Formats: sequence, structure tokens, C-alpha cells
Amino acid sequence: MIRVIALNELRRRLRDRSVLIGCLAAPLLMAAVLGISFAGAASTVAVRVGVSGASPALMAAAEQASQLPHGVTVVAMPSQAAVKAAVAGGTLDGGVAVLPGQMQLSSLLVPIVDPGASHTPGFDVVTRGTSQLGQEYAESMAAGISSVLYADKVPHHVTAHPATVAITTQSVGHGGKVNLNFFAPNIAVVFLFIGSGLGMRSLLMERSAGTLARITAAPLRPTQIVLGKLLAIFVTGLVTIFVIWAVTTFAFGANWGDPLGVLLMCVGATVAMCGIGVFLTSLAKTEQQAFGITMLVGLFLALLGGNLLPSGSLPDVFQVLALGTPNGWALVGFGRLDQLGEPASSVIGPFFVLLAIALVTGGLALTRVRKMVEP
Amino acid sequence: MQQAVGGSEAVVTTLGPSPMLRCEGLRKRYGDRLAVDGVTFSIAEGECYGLLGPNGAGKTTTISMLCGLAVPDEGDITVDGFEGGTLEAKAAVGYVPQDLALYPDLSAVENLTFFGQLYRLSGKELQTRIGETLELVGLADRGKDRIGTYSGGMKRRANMAAGLLHRPKLLVLDEPTVGVDPQSRNAILETVGKLGIAVLYTTHYMEEAFKLCDRIGIIDDGHLIAEGTADALIGDHGGRDKVHLSCDGADLDELAAACRELENIHDVHEVDGNLELSTDHGPAVLSAVVAVATRHGVDLTGVEVRSPNLEDVFLSLTGKELRD
Repeated sequence: MIRVIALNELRRRLRDRSVLIGCLAAPLLMAAVLGISFAGAASTVAVRVGVSGASPALMAAAEQASQLPHGVTVVAMPSQAAVKAAVAGGTLDGGVAVLPGQMQLSSLLVPIVDPGASHTPGFDVVTRGTSQLGQEYAESMAAGISSVLYADKVPHHVTAHPATVAITTQSVGHGGKVNLNFFAPNIAVVFLFIGSGLGMRSLLMERSAGTLARITAAPLRPTQIVLGKLLAIFVTGLVTIFVIWAVTTFAFGANWGDPLGVLLMCVGATVAMCGIGVFLTSLAKTEQQAFGITMLVGLFLALLGGNLLPSGSLPDVFQVLALGTPNGWALVGFGRLDQLGEPASSVIGPFFVLLAIALVTGGLALTRVRKMVEP
Repeated sequence: MQQAVGGSEAVVTTLGPSPMLRCEGLRKRYGDRLAVDGVTFSIAEGECYGLLGPNGAGKTTTISMLCGLAVPDEGDITVDGFEGGTLEAKAAVGYVPQDLALYPDLSAVENLTFFGQLYRLSGKELQTRIGETLELVGLADRGKDRIGTYSGGMKRRANMAAGLLHRPKLLVLDEPTVGVDPQSRNAILETVGKLGIAVLYTTHYMEEAFKLCDRIGIIDDGHLIAEGTADALIGDHGGRDKVHLSCDGADLDELAAACRELENIHDVHEVDGNLELSTDHGPAVLSAVVAVATRHGVDLTGVEVRSPNLEDVFLSLTGKELRD
């Protein structure tokens, strides 16, 4: 019976084209926009960031810790003064001078927790107002060096033997596939949420149309009716995210990472977003309310969870709050796969967090929605 | 099998052995409003039972309870021997709601396929049932068209088909002819008339109840105030035949006095410059009345004999019109 309810829901949504628009046309359009915007290399910008005062070993560790994009080249620079001169002269877009004499263990946290801080003891982050990317990479590099030193992965004394480096990259900017890899899952997760919220709206529509009464009069248990609707929403959600994955991968060369991990995250993200979407819809009394709640909360979660803006660019408190959202956890998982190139096993944690979110919100939703179909 | 008791007293029904539907002491409250208060009735196999009452009388609430859409606050329901609201009871009922309850974007066949599957019909049996049911309601040639393209009457017939598809033992029709064109209305009534299964038919059209139903229950303000065959109800509560005499410019006092002297005339009074006579059997006194009028030189411009109907029954029992 669950299958019968779900198939009827899908047939109706196919017939009124809402599923075609929501699950295929809109994701395809978004994937195409993302692909065209980010997949090409025509508008890449060269960014050069110089670093002085760090040993090659520290630089190598810091480079990995700062998670700079692929294609970054590290070039030695002679001194702090040379970095400043190069940034001022335009040869470098940004730079970091490590100042071992002023460095204390406690102050190492400053570049990590507050990358844009005006005063960072032990570091001189040299920036040029005209290069936003240069500033960001210089701050990232400072945070990377701090985290390595703080974790004591590299002995402090190496900083007493200053080496000088510069970072150059030819593949950053709005034309990088790195950005496509980042934004494609982000947008997919937003679609999942909106799709699931609007999907459950059909129950409210059926109630006002009278068909829910006829279904309820049939020899079915209320749970079967609700689970049938949920199954249809889950299937459409999964189709949505698969479409975006396939199109951005095959048409625009995006790399979401290990396919098994991506599959796991797609399922986890879909059930979690379905759960929270359906729960929010269950709070509504009318279709219009459901639409409003879905859009409002969807936008809020998208902002908070980092779907629209990278969470790193938001204030610290929001970065913590992002982990209270299902989309935030979805992006943690997708980020490990596409940004860090980690294996499928790395997303087991986020996957189970998403499952837990799905169980809690889905359970609440089931309780509330059941009341709509119970006598 | 049952006795109808007029006035504000509840109907006392003696329920027969294992009826198809048995409702006993149903009571349902919505907030401060008591929508149904102590309703008791039963429907035998193959019997068509009409629940007649004005809008807001409690008909739809009663139906909702026996179809498992609402839980009674008090009382018991048994359908085909099963407790009301259980899956077995629901499977025995075919529910045809007052409003169209079909998907307009799907065809009649697709709608019926879905609702048939909910009643565990599948495969060839389902297809055969769909064909037969569409034939029954006169929509066989439009089965593949979307419901949204149907006329209002066709939608109502398709709505009824969805309730009939699984061959229920009890068909519940909630005002199926409201807002329907005369042709479709006749088609619906004709279909119901030839079903041969137990039917609960709610309406506020007395002529439908009179034509279709073996027994009628009259419901008002949540109470079942009378029950019985149409003839019995009219006989007990409808009052006498009325003979209406239209007489232009005549001396009505003299004619009224003469009519009162006639046998079987119980009452005579003036209505809007004409006379109205109450009698046990209008046609039987007609010739005598006309003769009296002629004898008194009164020129009758019209004579009308009206027998009591269910409207009169309702008026007599409640003091108000059925459509109030």
C-alpha cells in the first residue's frame, strides 16, 4: 500500500509537471549555470602570496593544513622586507611574514579563529587592497602555519631558521572547477530541502481537495498513507541530487569525489532534508503556510549551513551553528570528498549525523502528519 | 422493525438480526456544538436508507463516523458484523463524498486504478471492475479522459464510480446530486436504484428520498426525530390532503360554511382570497365540493388537490421548512 500511495503521488506530480520542473528542469538549469560559470578556465586570475620566516618543512605542513586550492606553487622569498616590497609593488598579491621572536603559544590561535584580525602577534599578514584573493590566501596561510605550530607537528626551533617562500597559482578565481565542486552539492542540498517541503504540501492539498478523506476511508493504516507520501518525496529528492551530480560531472567535469562516498552522502542528505522539510510542512495548516515556511526556513538554513556563502566567510558563531543544520553536515561530508579528496569512509560520520537528523525530524513529522489522516 | 416517534423524542429502533449497518447511540461533539446526539438506526442488506435533513443537521458527521473518518464520542457502529473504523469495516463500505474527491489531472481509469488498488484490487480483476463500473455510471466512452475535462455531472458520476469499484456491501452517498444537472441527476438516481446493495443516501431533496429509499430517517439538529417508510412517515406526520379552491370575487364565508357541512371535510379556512379545505382523501371529496360551489353560484377558477409529502412531515416534526 505504501508503494501504491507513492506511485500515485509520483504519477500525479509527473502529470502536473511539478516533479519535472522541481526535480529535473530546475536542477538541470542550475547545474548548467554552475557549469558554465565555474567549469571554464577563461577568466582565471593569477594570485601570488609570499611567505617569509618559515622553514620548508613548516611551509609544506602549513600548505596542507591551510587547504589551498590545487595548482598552488610555493616559491621562496628572501625576507620580510622583500615580501612587503613585492606586495606593495604588485609582484605579490599578499604575503605572510612569520616573526618567531614575537610568537607565543597562546597568540597562535589568533590567525586560526580570527583570520582577518588586525593584530596577529607573531605574524605580519601583508595585503594589498586591490587583491581580495591575495588577502584571503595570505590569511589562510597564516592560519595554516599557526595550526601546525600549535599542534606541535613541527618543532618550534625550525622557525629560527627562516626560509622565504611565495605562493603562486594560475587556477584560482571564479573560473575554477574547485568552485564548481563546491557549489554543485551546495545547490543540490537546497533543492532537496525545498523539494521535500513542497512535496509534503500535497497532503494539505489532498485534504482540501477531498481526496485525502477518500483515501482515509479505504482500508489503510494512517502510517501507510504518510509513509507512501514520504517515499515519493524521498525518490524525487534522490532523483534531484543525482541529476545535479550527473550533469555537473559528465557535462562540466566537476569532481564530487569518491562515488561511493557521494552516493552515501546523497542518500544521507536526502533523508535528512526530507525529514526536516516534511516536519516544517507539518507545522502548516494551509498550502500557503507550508509554502511560506518552506521558503523562509530553506533560505535561512541555506545561509546558515553555508550553501549560499562558504561558512568560512561567515562570523565564527555561524560556523558553529552550521553544524546544527542538516545542510551544514551534508556540506561537511561533500567537502571531505570533493575539496579534500578523502575516501568514502571519511563521510560515515556525517552520514550517520544526517541519519540521526532524519530520524528525529522524520519521527516528529510522522507524529504530526499522522494526525492529519487519523479520524 | 422500527417505530418512528415524532416531536423532539429520539427514535426508538428495534434492530433486526445482523443488519449490514448498525449505528447505536452515536454522539459527536465539535467544540461546544453537539453535531450528532444519540443517533440510532440500522440498514438491512439490499435496503436503501435515506437520511433526510437540512444542511447542518448532522448527516455528514454521521457518515464520517460510520466510514471511519471520525471517531464517535459515544455509541457503537457495526458494518457487516465488524466494528466501525476497523480495516474490515472500511473494506465493506463504498464512500462517495459530497464534494468531488478525484484527481483532476488523472483520467477516470487512472483514478479508479488507484482507488481500486487501495482496496487490494489488481491485475485483470481491477481492469474488469473499472470497465464494468464506468459502464454502470455511463462513462465507458470517457474513461481515458482526464477528470478535469468532465462536466460537473460527469464528475459526480465518476465520483460515485470510485465508491462502487470494489463492490462494497454498503454504499454511502453523501448528497450526490447537489449542484448536478437534471440529466446526470437522473443517471445517478437510476444507478443507485439498480444497485441492489445496502445504501445510505443522505439528501435534503425530499423527492429523491421518496423515490429511492425503502426507509427514511429524518434528522435535525443532530437528532434522528423520525424513521420509517415514506408512506408511514407521511401517514403519521404529514397531515391531511389539502383541496385548494381559487374563486374570484365570490362570497367566501357562505361557501366555507357550506363546505364545512360536507362529509370528510375537517377544516376550511381562507388563504389569500381563496379557500383551503383539509380532508382525509382529496379526490374523494372533489365532486361534492365542486357541486357545492356551483350551487352557491361561485365561479371556481381553479381547483388543486395536494397530498402531504415529506416536506410536510418535516414541517410537522420540526416546525420549519426542510430547506431552512
